Amino acid sequence: MAERRTILIDPVTRIEGHSKITLHLDEHGHVEDARFHVTQFRGFEKFCEGRPFAEMPSLMARICGICPVSHLIASAKACDALLAVKIPPTADKLRRIFGMAQVVQSHALSLFHLSSPDLLLGMDADPAKSNLFGVLEKDPQLARDGIALRKFGQQIIERLGGKRIHPAWVVPGGVSDPLTQEDRDAILQAIPDALQIAMRTLEWLKGTMEKFRDEIASFGNFPSLFMGTIKEDGGLTFYDGKLRIVDARGDVVANDLDPARYFEFLGEKVEPWSYLKSAYYKPKGFPDGIYRVGPLARLNVSDRCGTPRADQELAEFHELQRTAVLSSFHYHQARLIEILYCVERLEQLLNDPEILSKHVRALARPNALEGVGAAEAPRGTLFHHYKIDEQGLVRWCNLIIATGQNNLAMNRSVLQVAQHYVKGEKITHGMLNRVEAVIRAYDPCLSCSTHAVGEMALRIQLLSPEGSLLDEIAR
Amino acid sequence: MRQQSAEKPERILVIAYGNPLRCDDGVAWQAAEALRRQFQWAEVVCVHQLTPELAESVSLAETVIFLDAARDGAPGTVHCDVIGPEVREMRFSHHLDPRELLSLCRDLYSARPHAFLISMSGQRFEHGEELSGAALRTIPGVLGEVSAIAKRVAEAAQCRNAESGMPGTSVQQLGR
Repeated sequence: MAERRTILIDPVTRIEGHSKITLHLDEHGHVEDARFHVTQFRGFEKFCEGRPFAEMPSLMARICGICPVSHLIASAKACDALLAVKIPPTADKLRRIFGMAQVVQSHALSLFHLSSPDLLLGMDADPAKSNLFGVLEKDPQLARDGIALRKFGQQIIERLGGKRIHPAWVVPGGVSDPLTQEDRDAILQAIPDALQIAMRTLEWLKGTMEKFRDEIASFGNFPSLFMGTIKEDGGLTFYDGKLRIVDARGDVVANDLDPARYFEFLGEKVEPWSYLKSAYYKPKGFPDGIYRVGPLARLNVSDRCGTPRADQELAEFHELQRTAVLSSFHYHQARLIEILYCVERLEQLLNDPEILSKHVRALARPNALEGVGAAEAPRGTLFHHYKIDEQGLVRWCNLIIATGQNNLAMNRSVLQVAQHYVKGEKITHGMLNRVEAVIRAYDPCLSCSTHAVGEMALRIQLLSPEGSLLDEIAR
Repeated sequence: MRQQSAEKPERILVIAYGNPLRCDDGVAWQAAEALRRQFQWAEVVCVHQLTPELAESVSLAETVIFLDAARDGAPGTVHCDVIGPEVREMRFSHHLDPRELLSLCRDLYSARPHAFLISMSGQRFEHGEELSGAALRTIPGVLGEVSAIAKRVAEAAQCRNAESGMPGTSVQQLGR
């Protein structure tokens, strides 16, 4: 009699952080359940308690080496709320520049370094070649472009923040130092090349879509809600605005939601098999309130970008489906459109006559005991919520990370891909690479909830329920 | 005492990498500070890990010196190796071995700088910012190694100038 079996993918490769995937097969070899487990724990929310609130931005930037700027910005915005100040207009613009530079470098990392091996070499490529060196061999220009674009974003962060990892330039009330003319001019000079790379890569990616029709149909292609921040005119933004939620038809379910009241409409559920909480939209309950955030969601909720080239690409993107764009495979294209938008918008902001103003910080003592800061991180909406005492010490802290908000969708996507591709008793790299690739499409940043445990080999085992080894692949 | 200008080599890039929040893993950062003080000509960068973006900077250098903490070897010892491009298995995202970075540099920019890896054997790698006595003892040794490399680079450059038209100095000639 055939047996029920479990396939373990541990760790998932080419993502930020450490996780594993289990696939549960029935006695006929069909996948009946799949789970994406985040196997790391950090507990930043707890050890911030008792710290002076003004330390929070620089403490929070330590959460992650990939998206420290998003944590810095959301944290500083929560502190602005504690100070109850309106930050100077130039500080507002500089924070936007800082945030978008990070979006560019983070998206470039995801697309060029992590996912381009799948997109360029194919899902069935030799795992030993599915990396930057494989891309370099097949398409040196693409590899060069990825490095250049990531460097473009990092250099802006370094120029503004003093260093590329864990900068502490964003502070409660604004930013610590104004932008110099030298730095402004240097960044502006690099923009034409960055723009060319973004446009060139978008054309390449759109040209490859035909090869991935099967993956587009099965990579997280299901109805869900989508949430993102928009400007008053419905435009794309990464820094400030109101939240909008649309359904799978693209119809607006909720509009003008105040991010500071997130707890009224967003819930979090803890599952015993993962350190990552699962967020859901409260009015629909758990798990029907499943929603997605990040590039795909942001473009689904946005009416426009507000820059010429990105607007053109957004219109084309919205044409992919008459409803909301549902397939998570399209996160890749959405990511590139956002890069394009950021580069165009950076140029606009850097040419703003106020951008070199020296008035970049509002000083105040705490005027409120509770504050929420929200921003659009590369991977989606990020919330920081602090409560302080009269001495300004943090007494309670809650962080809602983008990757957690995509947790339900990632799990459902893994199941969909596994049910489509994984069959029978023999594991192939192509099957399992697709299971990993759908996770890569979301670009989860698990570092936001962990510290690394060192180098790990990838071992995929097919086990019987009794634990006996049926098949194994080692990379 | 500062290095004399007569020994100033051309385009030497020092890349110190490691995690300064993991005790001795950050010894390269402290060694880099000492290098900055002693050899003002040196271009020194400190990073947590080697990333592909460094390939361009490496390609512009004539000589690159990587400084890294090591868990193996007798604590307090310094080891210097000549290294070259080598592609290893790249399973994870964006951090590289120095040899892989040299490979990227060669393949992307057709550049092959002379390269050295100076390893400093540490003792403690837990959370913390303080270096062990063993790690601190490696720093003078690192300065000595860098000084010796700089001297050889300068001599090689002098030879090239004297024998213009001759091929450049090989890694083997520069090595130990």
